[in-house]
Amino acid sequence: MLRRSMWATGLVILMVVGPMAGAQEEDDTVTLRIGLTQDWDSLNPTAGVLVSEYEVWNLHYATLTDKAAADFETIPGLAESWEGSDDGLTYTYTLREGLLWSDGQPLTADDVAWNINTSRDQGWSNHISTTVNLDAEAVDERTVRITSSVPDPKLPNMDVYLVPRHIWEPVATDAEAIVGYDGLDGVGSGPFTISEFRDQQSVTMVANPNYWGWEGEEPPIDQVIFRFFSNPDAMVAALQQGEIDAAQTIPSGSVEALEGAENIEVVSGLQGGFDEIAINGGAAEGQPHPALADVNVRTAIFHGVDREAVIEDLLFGYAEPLETISPSADPKWIPEIPEDNQFTYDVETANQILDEGGYMDTDGDGIREMPDGTSPLVLRHGVNTNTDQGAAIGELFSGWMAEIGIGVELQALDSDQLFEAIVTGDYDTFYWGWVPFVDPDPMLSYFTEAEIGNYNDANWFDPRYDELYLEQKEELDPDQRVEIVHEMLTIFHDAAVYLPLYMSPDIQAYRTDAFEGWVRQPADVGPVMFSNSSPSYPLLTPVEGDGGALGGIGLPVIIGVVVIVVAVGAFLGMRRRTTADERE
Amino acid sequence: MLGSLLTLVFVLVFNFVLFRIVETDPVGSLFRGRNIPAERLDELRASFGLDEPLATQFVLYIRETLQLNLGISYQSRQPVWNEIVSRAPATVALVGISAVLSAVIGTLAGIAAAWRRNTWKDHTLTSSTMVFYSMPDFWLGMLLLVGFAVVLGWFPVGGIVDLGSTATGVELLLDQLHHMFLPALTLTLAYLGEYALVTRSSLLDVMGEDYLAVARAKGLRDTIVRNRHALPNALLPVITLVAINLGFVLSGAIAVEAVFSWPGLGKSTADAIRGPDLPMLQGLFLVFSAAVIFFNLLADVAYAWLDPRVDAA
Repeated sequence: MLRRSMWATGLVILMVVGPMAGAQEEDDTVTLRIGLTQDWDSLNPTAGVLVSEYEVWNLHYATLTDKAAADFETIPGLAESWEGSDDGLTYTYTLREGLLWSDGQPLTADDVAWNINTSRDQGWSNHISTTVNLDAEAVDERTVRITSSVPDPKLPNMDVYLVPRHIWEPVATDAEAIVGYDGLDGVGSGPFTISEFRDQQSVTMVANPNYWGWEGEEPPIDQVIFRFFSNPDAMVAALQQGEIDAAQTIPSGSVEALEGAENIEVVSGLQGGFDEIAINGGAAEGQPHPALADVNVRTAIFHGVDREAVIEDLLFGYAEPLETISPSADPKWIPEIPEDNQFTYDVETANQILDEGGYMDTDGDGIREMPDGTSPLVLRHGVNTNTDQGAAIGELFSGWMAEIGIGVELQALDSDQLFEAIVTGDYDTFYWGWVPFVDPDPMLSYFTEAEIGNYNDANWFDPRYDELYLEQKEELDPDQRVEIVHEMLTIFHDAAVYLPLYMSPDIQAYRTDAFEGWVRQPADVGPVMFSNSSPSYPLLTPVEGDGGALGGIGLPVIIGVVVIVVAVGAFLGMRRRTTADERE
Repeated sequence: MLGSLLTLVFVLVFNFVLFRIVETDPVGSLFRGRNIPAERLDELRASFGLDEPLATQFVLYIRETLQLNLGISYQSRQPVWNEIVSRAPATVALVGISAVLSAVIGTLAGIAAAWRRNTWKDHTLTSSTMVFYSMPDFWLGMLLLVGFAVVLGWFPVGGIVDLGSTATGVELLLDQLHHMFLPALTLTLAYLGEYALVTRSSLLDVMGEDYLAVARAKGLRDTIVRNRHALPNALLPVITLVAINLGFVLSGAIAVEAVFSWPGLGKSTADAIRGPDLPMLQGLFLVFSAAVIFFNLLADVAYAWLDPRVDAA
């Protein structure tokens, strides 16, 4: 009896769950659904630091100036125009007429000035690098004057998120109080504003009727839903089935399947992010193998690395070659390295350089020794276990080095341990990567002497580089600044401590039968979303027709569940009414 | 009871030590790759209390935890307790339902197998449950996901609710159950085998006992012999197993939650380890341990009640 009632309970549960066709309330709301594989820690722009969070803020908060989709050029945003002083230290911005926050409150010069000054005083983490030397003053309702205490080539660009003063002033009492705020007030100034946050699931944003960019027209999209997937393969499946309209960070292994799929466009979006093999430059306390002090040995090692093979075999061709580091999302900052100086893959050259330097294999074990016959050239290579490619690159690296008589000892380290090893200098080479900002300054700063023990993971510095770094920091002529940066990066390249392997793309895909109007930032090579200022969203329009309708899944579900129930029931429950005679 | 409390205190101390053996810089990794002034990082370390000597940190940690204050998460900047409370229901519902289903179905399968031992039914039941039991649960989950969500499209590929829908009440509940079906099926299948095997062998032991021969000699029907005489004794080890598994109701589905994008404590744990978000880790491990200890205590009590031979110590 007991048994039968339990089975009945099980069956009831199955039957209730199964036929549920996921309550499809079809109305005429136009919804754009984006899949991503990173969830949200904090939607407060003074606390969060994740890509998933920046994407939400890019929509939620308009900025004083915008960045052109094509080339990041500073273009009008909330400010319709601006004027610089002759010394380049002061800029006066004029706001558009009649700006409103999404809750209908006026957005004024006072809001702008308060954000700049408060973020500077309280050190808001996403604002401070822009506002640290600035002082802002609201001249009148629509005019704000911003003065920098030092020449700042980033001006007049002013792309920090502006939060509504009337909501934030009470919570921004001090640096500690403000980061504890959840940022879910829903009041913004961008094209879409946060309407619902479901932890570890989704962020829903609705069109902001007061966004200046609609110019009096109806927003073509009513809401945007960001949906988090902890399983990237499930996200790809959701895109194929039309459960979502677009997705980012698609695993390179799924690309082939998506490229063949109907109505799906794959975009390999570059934003300057790159991976590198770095050699210990010796500036930290722990020292590298003595041979690495010789620039010729470092050059030989880099000649021994087959970067094309990495791109083709490991990344399915979805990456771009890169000779020196890219310090910005904008490719104009990357210098052209003369062909003769490039680290072209050439085992012969590599071996020749090492032979000429006197690094011979004297004991015949296949590993070269120092010119005096001591210290075999065996390198400790840090494999970053938190990266997708770390382990594979480590294996490849030891194979390449074997070709030129150098041994490699692989050390598996997670990001924290590797960071520790880099700071202390206890390594010879490692593999890792960077994603730069739009302005090259932060990336350039990492390789100055001041950053040894912090971000300088080359453990290398050069007085001339440091000098140029300070120069570019205050160079107000844009062309001149590009030239200085090119010179710096050429110095860094020729030092042969940092070998960029490739520019790593964010592989994204969208359904062509759902929305159209995607733009890449920067033009031609960049991604269509999760870019620096995410210009696509307000430009998208739904594709006419039955864009990605899910269709009724009720019947198949019922059939499926009945099949399962019958199978399981037959399997476990079917038991003839037997008595003792059969048992013994 | 006292034992349970002592265990909890041990866990409390152990957690603190455990997460500090690995030398890491939570503040540094929080802002990895971003240009933050060094003073700002120092300020943050100070606000997290990381600039204090370890001994002071320990005293503060114990004092606050005893007042049920688990601290503020480094990553979300929200109170750890709120984070855990808001994420726990999804995990408890999923793992709880699966634990009950696997216990019930697994035990029944074990009974059927033992009672019909060495028949084709026994072999089929035992080997098929073993297959699911020995398969890694996330792998089983992926197979089910590919089969039922991707190829057949009967179930959603992840999440807990249809995001576009505005359903409420019963409809919302049904939508959630629809989303829960595959992860729950995965966990249920994955843990069936444990129950089936334990029940089978335990029942086989009991079936050799003299008192069953006596029961049969009295002329009792087979079903009654089994249900009234054999089962109550044979099920004692199963009770222990149920208690152990229910103890993992908060922490037991980290991999399966990841496969089905289930918004529970599993994802929180993985994220917290990445930080490391020390307050979050301490809080999570404390509630995980508390759940295990609680259900073991419950098992002891249940044992004393079910089995007169066991003294309620």
